[in-house]
Amino acid sequence: MKNIIKKIIFIVTITFFMESCHDDLNVSPIDPDSFTQEDVFANATVAKSALAKLYSALALTGQEGPAGQPDIADIDEGFSQFSRMLFNLNELTTDHSVVGWGDPGLPDLHGMSWSSSNDFTEAMYSRLAQSVSFSNSFIQNAEALTDPEVATFIAEAKFLRAYSYYNLIDLYANVPLTTVVSTDLPAQSNRAEIFAFIESELLEIQDQLPAAGANEYGRVDQVAAWALLSRLYLNAEVWTGTAKYSECVDFSNKVMNSSYAINMNDANGNGTAYDELFLADNDTNGAQNEFIFALNFDGLQSQTFGGTTFLVHASIGGSMNATDFGVNGGWSGLRTTKNLVNQFEVDPSAIDINVLNNSLNGTLSDWGLVGDATENAWDGPDMEMYETATNQYALYAVLTNGEMKFRFDEDWGNNFGDNDTDGSLEPDGTNIPIPNSGIYLITLDLDNLTYAATALTALDKRGMFHTDGQSLEIESIPPFKEGYAVSKFKNVDSNGNAGSDPTGDFVDTDLPLIRLAEIYLNYAEASLRGGGGDLGVATSKINELRLRAYGNTSGDITSGDITLDFVLNERSRELYWEGQRRTDLVRYNYFTTNSLLWPFKGNISNGTAVDQIRNIFPLPINVLATNPNLTQNPGY
Amino acid sequence: MRNFKNTFLSIVLLFPVIAFAQLTIKGKVTDKNTKTELPGVNVVVKGTLNGSTTDFDGLYTIDKVNTGDVLVFSFIGYYSLEVTITSNADINVELEESAESLDEVVVIGYGSVKKEDLTGAVDLITSEDFNQGPVVSAQQLISGKIAGVSVTSGGGAPGEGQEINIRGLGSLSLTSTPLIVVDGLPLNDGGVGGSRNTLNLINPNDIESMVVLKDASATSIYGSRAANGVIIITTKKGKDSEFKFNLNSSMTFSNPIDQVDVLSAGRFTRLINGTGDADAIARLGSSNTDWQEAIYVDAVGTDNSFSALGSAWGVPMRASVGYSDQSGILDRDNFKRTTASLSLTPTLLDEHLKIELNARGMYTENTFANRDAIGNAVSFDPTQSISDPNSQYAGYFSWVDPNTGSQFNLAPSNPVALINLVDDTAEVRRLVANAKFDYKLHFFPDLTATVNVGLDKSNSNGRTLTSEFIPTSDPTFNGSRTTFSEEATNQLLDAYLTYNKSINEVHNLTFVAGYSYQKFEFENFNFDSEKEEQGNDFEFIDRSENILLSYFGRLNYDYDGKYLITATLRADASSKLNPNDQWGYFPSVAVAWNIHNEDFMDGSFINQLKLRAGYGEVGNVNGLGDYNFLTRYTGSQSTANYQFGSAFFQTFRPEPINEELRWEVGRTLNVGLDYSILNSRISGSVNAYLKETQDLIASAFIDPFTNFGNRIDKNIGDMENKGIEFALNVIPVKTEDIEWSISYNIAFNDNKVTNLPFDQPTGGISGGVGNNIQVHTEGESPFSYLVYKQIYDTNGKPIEGAFVDRNGDNIINDDDRYLYNDPYADVIMGLNTNLSFKNWDLSIVTRANFGNYAYNNVASSTGYLRRATQNNILTNLHSNHLNTGFIETTENNLLSDHFIENASFFKIDNITLGYKLADNTLFEDVNFRFYGSLQNVATVTDYNGLDPEIINTGDGTSGIDNNFYPRPRTFVFGVNIDF
Repeated sequence: MKNIIKKIIFIVTITFFMESCHDDLNVSPIDPDSFTQEDVFANATVAKSALAKLYSALALTGQEGPAGQPDIADIDEGFSQFSRMLFNLNELTTDHSVVGWGDPGLPDLHGMSWSSSNDFTEAMYSRLAQSVSFSNSFIQNAEALTDPEVATFIAEAKFLRAYSYYNLIDLYANVPLTTVVSTDLPAQSNRAEIFAFIESELLEIQDQLPAAGANEYGRVDQVAAWALLSRLYLNAEVWTGTAKYSECVDFSNKVMNSSYAINMNDANGNGTAYDELFLADNDTNGAQNEFIFALNFDGLQSQTFGGTTFLVHASIGGSMNATDFGVNGGWSGLRTTKNLVNQFEVDPSAIDINVLNNSLNGTLSDWGLVGDATENAWDGPDMEMYETATNQYALYAVLTNGEMKFRFDEDWGNNFGDNDTDGSLEPDGTNIPIPNSGIYLITLDLDNLTYAATALTALDKRGMFHTDGQSLEIESIPPFKEGYAVSKFKNVDSNGNAGSDPTGDFVDTDLPLIRLAEIYLNYAEASLRGGGGDLGVATSKINELRLRAYGNTSGDITSGDITLDFVLNERSRELYWEGQRRTDLVRYNYFTTNSLLWPFKGNISNGTAVDQIRNIFPLPINVLATNPNLTQNPGY
Repeated sequence: MRNFKNTFLSIVLLFPVIAFAQLTIKGKVTDKNTKTELPGVNVVVKGTLNGSTTDFDGLYTIDKVNTGDVLVFSFIGYYSLEVTITSNADINVELEESAESLDEVVVIGYGSVKKEDLTGAVDLITSEDFNQGPVVSAQQLISGKIAGVSVTSGGGAPGEGQEINIRGLGSLSLTSTPLIVVDGLPLNDGGVGGSRNTLNLINPNDIESMVVLKDASATSIYGSRAANGVIIITTKKGKDSEFKFNLNSSMTFSNPIDQVDVLSAGRFTRLINGTGDADAIARLGSSNTDWQEAIYVDAVGTDNSFSALGSAWGVPMRASVGYSDQSGILDRDNFKRTTASLSLTPTLLDEHLKIELNARGMYTENTFANRDAIGNAVSFDPTQSISDPNSQYAGYFSWVDPNTGSQFNLAPSNPVALINLVDDTAEVRRLVANAKFDYKLHFFPDLTATVNVGLDKSNSNGRTLTSEFIPTSDPTFNGSRTTFSEEATNQLLDAYLTYNKSINEVHNLTFVAGYSYQKFEFENFNFDSEKEEQGNDFEFIDRSENILLSYFGRLNYDYDGKYLITATLRADASSKLNPNDQWGYFPSVAVAWNIHNEDFMDGSFINQLKLRAGYGEVGNVNGLGDYNFLTRYTGSQSTANYQFGSAFFQTFRPEPINEELRWEVGRTLNVGLDYSILNSRISGSVNAYLKETQDLIASAFIDPFTNFGNRIDKNIGDMENKGIEFALNVIPVKTEDIEWSISYNIAFNDNKVTNLPFDQPTGGISGGVGNNIQVHTEGESPFSYLVYKQIYDTNGKPIEGAFVDRNGDNIINDDDRYLYNDPYADVIMGLNTNLSFKNWDLSIVTRANFGNYAYNNVASSTGYLRRATQNNILTNLHSNHLNTGFIETTENNLLSDHFIENASFFKIDNITLGYKLADNTLFEDVNFRFYGSLQNVATVTDYNGLDPEIINTGDGTSGIDNNFYPRPRTFVFGVNIDF
């Protein structure tokens, strides 16, 4: 009996022990950086940190700056940052930029030969879809909270979701439309459905978001919803087949009538308030008043190898002095094509004639310019021209008001003038008048006996290029010296001081994704496309931008100057490298056609038209493989 | 009733015999070779319980025998001998030592069996057969010894990690290495930070034997942790004898063998001059520096160990201490290890209670040479000198950007500066201890209760100090200090009952049932002084734990030693899986037929012939992260916060979740044959196996709209390993003076993914950002190379950028890549030989792999001309540039099949020569053995890189050759003293 009791106690003890061990299987995270859903959505204060992730998913790449614990797998973390990929897909694919690096898939972007397994198109798709999932989850969980400010959080989350879908519809056209997180494979939607969703969401939240300027810096208010609607409606015809230009005009008007203002504060006193938009203190130097939706970066607390850190470092190379840009060195990658450079009327004081003439890549010849418009008047010696090809001569020259002729070897025995100022030359012809002083590009064609004198006159300070050691023409993309470098983005503040990161690695400069200047141009374009806007208003708004660009009214235009092509070019000048060029060119049907060519478009040195399928990107091959509901975009 | 009948029959049948007059027989038993007397030999009348044993002089006496009886002489380690009694004359016999004794006891997990009774694919290697030479870690002891088992070091650093693979790759992204069990305690899979190799814990001199369980019928008793096989290490134990001592001391000398082939200073100068790039030419220096020679050195090491075993106060015990100090050939690399072990094996309560207490501790001090220097030495401009008196960087030449006054942003740092200006040290402590109690119940001796409690605890402390003078582009850099401390704890409790019953000596039954509980805890702490200076988070803590709970049972039955069956069932629950589906049930069954025990085999030249067949299943979640089934949020560090207003907010990110994660299950079918003939002069085994791994867990791409990321760990597909293994041991000569043995093994393995809904790119390479050279795809080997087909000119020179347009669409893009070989060998061979002549012994260990291919990433990423002059500096090129003439690095050039090379090889791993100083008159009872050994003797291969054998011990992937720490050639001189 005693034995039996002993045995029973033994068995009970064993059973109890094993049972308690079974409870051990129910573990929960013990890592101090790991939190449960209950922790995060305990109250509005904590939930605000979850909201911050929705913003930082577009600005940063993971939970450990600058790299570590990445959001997106399968790509180098630095490359996976949203605005860096936006640059790759929307600027690098156009006349605005080339990059010298050979990372897989990267050269294919400018060359317009990307495939459905391109790393960057895939990572961008993942990034945007993930951003949608983050928002969906946040909205779902936050709805259980009753704090009044949570309603604003949710409206912001919906804005960010709409912004992600805006990019998805633009880049990939036909993607799944999801509003809740579910492991069920989603069905594919088309552009019209996604368009309708973005539109209805933005219309719904426009009054749930705080009034203009009422939210904290870095968080969006109702103007952001209007501005995104303006952009959405501008592209409606391309995306859905139904034009919505008058809606674009309406919502552009709402934005233009809000408290946002074009920055006119030339804080660093260099003659224009434009460059302040891209300086390290652009969250305080006045630029912030123009930023409707911007990504916030900080050299210490918001570190990434994307964002403005990428734009500043990657643009530096050759003879550029990294210290001038507030960083510790360059990555020798990005440059631009002559198409962008030629958009600008050049500031002569910023021009180094020798650099220009070197860029002709010619040899000094015996043909020269003579006359009182030239530096040595009629007495010579002549200004010798460069032979750029057989019987082709060119020279950049500073000329004064007067006359000139072409002459061989300082000898009147062989000279040309122009009898009727028609551009064709006659031996011993009449002197050629030069009406204004300035820098000219003079070309001479002895095969056809023609010439041209093109003035490089006015002074648009938005064109910020580094030309020393760089050639305007690009013969081969990889070497950094081919093509002008762009010095638009800097990590120095308005006083010239470098940003907060003492190591010079990471940049403080915030990056505007939507700013007021764009809305002016949306308004003008929608008006021209029949949206019913006032061209007079459009003209004065554009002149506001040009006043800032020139520092004076010399660049002003009249309403007669405003054509669709002018607006496109003005967008190029105002918004280059800010992530919109491809969308603009698609809207004009210039992206794939031969209406506009640029160096190495379609991988041909002079540029060529490409298949119109490239107006949208392919769905990533990996996504297609995981979700059989999806059909690939046509042509891929 | 049946028992009674049998007994009755026996009595009736034996009765007439008993009736005759009985004899007493005497005699002497000696060893056939040494002629020494053998004490303790069993002498039994066949078919009876009548027996005796030999005394200390080998003499025996046995009574009550009759003419016609058969005497069976048996002794462990010797062939049994049967002699028929014909008269009452003395019977003196000589027993022959068996090369491979069937009586050897093999530990198989929660018990042990006689080798003869094994039913699975199991290999036993005892200390006599271990590899000799500079063996620092246990894995090296069996390299090349066992068919189907490959042991590969991660590189040439001292104490470097060793990757063991049994029968090919077992999993795509989970742990692919076998479970290692030391004296009944399964060790942690991973080490703590700062430890080079988890098995550095054990001094190889402490190991008695290693058992490798290869097929699932053998491993399934260990359940889910045994998915890739099990290596059971049994350490030496004390004996009930006088104390014996062993002292082992050796010195090692290591030299680099080869270097990466880069351009010489002269050739590089001509190359730069040839570019016509005036800026680049101006940067040329006038020195002639061999940067690789500058960072590699000859290294010296010592290894000493001392052990004592014997019995004190009636308790058998063994204690050992060891100290090893090894330097690496990469300058300043050093590894110091102290080990100590103690084992006590008392037996109490009339041998009813057996206790085994094992404790071993390790303390290592590592100085890690800065391995960044390896890649930089390949790339650094050979025309620059190491020193530059004007350099602000402690006098080391550096590429300084005249604009910033600091090193250029993308410039490599001076390799010698990297070596000398970074101090990276770590200490690792590890304690492994277990106490095992076997209690044979007094009232029911057939039943044994066993409790085994164990602890495996390691911790490490490490720090990296970087001098303020290190070349860097950061103008404010003033030195930095990062530290870490890590702790890993594994607690174990096993409790099981063993029922052992023999009925009528023909039905032998062993039944084991038990319970096992394992808890794994990890914690690490990091500190970063740079982040502290910047006001960011500078202390980081990671913590995790997981539990593995199991029940297991095993039935072993044999009928008369002829027909054997083993059936096992293990149930495992892991806290890593969703509580709704966290139990896995893993059964196995195996049968074997000892043909040699059949009557019809009597008198045959065959000593052993056993046919085996087994089937088993094991699960796997080893290496899987914790809590995948929960929605977790990760808080951002202060470098990844986000600005709202003027404040920075921590962000919370939801992590990808998979509620449906299931056990990865491997199912193995194995058939085998063990043979031993001609007095075991020829023996070995043959195995054929088919292993299907189902529900492979791998990091898989998912539709990013359905989760919080684009990859999750997921059950994605199936994989198959099939192969044949063949082992042969031959003893061609065995005389008094000479013994020569040869062992050869060969294994063919074919590994392919059999089901994968879509391809998974893998195998990241350097040279760009985010390039993958390998892919998992259905119907092919995992980690197959996916490459472009290079086009060559008529001289056989690759044409840059020219690839075969395989799909004919006039565009070269991803669709034109094709599958071309894989990094895994189709055939692995080992050939070893031992020769002893009188006091001399010689052993040679060789290995060969065939059909393994490697991607020469060093050549592909550093051999293009543009690299030489870009980024405002000069960079040396791989000599492969002279063959290819490549100018640009592009993804296509990187992914060219030109860089996939056949890396089949034949290696002479080791040659050891020893001399035993016997019968020395100076020290009686002291045995000396002197030996010299040469490790990494020769490699025969067509591969152009440094070493054809490339494996990443971090994640088990292989075949990508980049910044490899070269394996040195090592000479060892040592002495082994027994007294």
